[in-house]
Amino acid sequence: MTFTLLAPATGEEAVAALLAAGPGELAVLAGGTDLLPDIDEGRTAPRRVLSLRRLPWRELNWTSTELEVGALVPLASLERNAELRRRMPGLFEAVGAVGGLALRHRATLGGNLVRASPVSDLIPILLALEARVGLYGAQGERELPLEEFLQSPRRTSLAPGELLRRVRIPARPCAFRWQRVRPANDISQLAVAVAYDPLGGDWRVATAGVAPLARRAPGAEAALHGVAPSDAEIRACADVAAHEAPVRADRRATDPYRRLLLRALVARAVRAVRDRPLESSS
Amino acid sequence: MTDPAALWVNGRPYSTELPDDERLLDTLRWRLGLKGTKEGCRTGDCGACTVLVDGRSVLSCLTLTREVSEEAILTVEGLEADPVGRTVLEAFVQEAGLQCGYCTPGFVVALTGLLKERPNASPEELLEDLQGNLCRCTGYLSIRRAVVGLAKART
Ligand code: FES
Ligand code: FES
Repeated sequence: MTFTLLAPATGEEAVAALLAAGPGELAVLAGGTDLLPDIDEGRTAPRRVLSLRRLPWRELNWTSTELEVGALVPLASLERNAELRRRMPGLFEAVGAVGGLALRHRATLGGNLVRASPVSDLIPILLALEARVGLYGAQGERELPLEEFLQSPRRTSLAPGELLRRVRIPARPCAFRWQRVRPANDISQLAVAVAYDPLGGDWRVATAGVAPLARRAPGAEAALHGVAPSDAEIRACADVAAHEAPVRADRRATDPYRRLLLRALVARAVRAVRDRPLESSS
Repeated sequence: MTDPAALWVNGRPYSTELPDDERLLDTLRWRLGLKGTKEGCRTGDCGACTVLVDGRSVLSCLTLTREVSEEAILTVEGLEADPVGRTVLEAFVQEAGLQCGYCTPGFVVALTGLLKERPNASPEELLEDLQGNLCRCTGYLSIRRAVVGLAKART
């Protein structure tokens, strides 16, 4: 047997088990759809696996301004939430882009973020929405912006003995556009997420597939103003996005192709938000 | 640990030895002898290993048996005795929705789960939620006909 499994009943017990483990000895299991292939491929070889299945971190709460999601909520529960589909269509699209439905019945939102995969479809949309994460540890819970939580591919700022507890997502108009070879069970060559912040009257643009990890595109954001940017502004925004992206070519796409995609998808995503009739928050 | 475990599969109880790191796919095939569930890729890319856990489709190749051992499991072997599963099987037979048949258990199980969850889903919605199931014979047209026929018959 490659590992033994433990399934603590409370967050405190889980944290105690984490703190007691030596480096690399213990892996945390949520849905397992990313961890188990890693174990199969020998990329990680934990002697013990800490299952979170008995923890009740599965809330899905709306307030007038945001959605709070427990770290263990399966992605499929997000896509089946009618209010999410209506209020945050970009998040709905991004969730549906992950794997296939059977995978999304087990894969969790928390797992996706903690694994900090360079090809995550959820990270760009949550960066654009300025999501914040709650981290649970022996000292209680601390909150920080997702952007700070994600350090580099596969690395987060979780301290030893900490677990991702929840994600808070401001409910803002947003859109997600991706390009890939197959619609399901595939990795996006490029993904673009945009969101509009009605309070500040400005935009957030995030991209995946142009840098080692998904990131915001500040120059592109600065090209857009107000809830209804003109077509010329949108073209300028898309040009800046394509121009400021770092060079990146891999087996999925060449660099010039990625820049073309970036220009097209940024413009489409911004137009999708601009042209959608505003939803009431009820 | 390799402890005995009690599982509930296709409406009947099983007891078996169960190592902590064992995948549901392997428990079903090699311990319980339920070889209808197929291994296509073992990496979550094909859907051939789909079973229902508590009514929801999951990939048994990426699920530890211990993680779901307290829930009801339904595999392709249990579909005939399930009213929804039966109509799905009949639709696939009717349309000859298979060639070599390797992907078929995954498709019929996933579709059964979908129809239970969303009895009024449109053909488009069903097809979209089946995108995670691949057919290496690319017999998609007949599979598609079976799915569309089922959706129309139900609404
Ligand atoms: S064998 Fe499980 S998805 Fe392919
Ligand atoms: S019928 Fe052969 S894989 Fe689908």
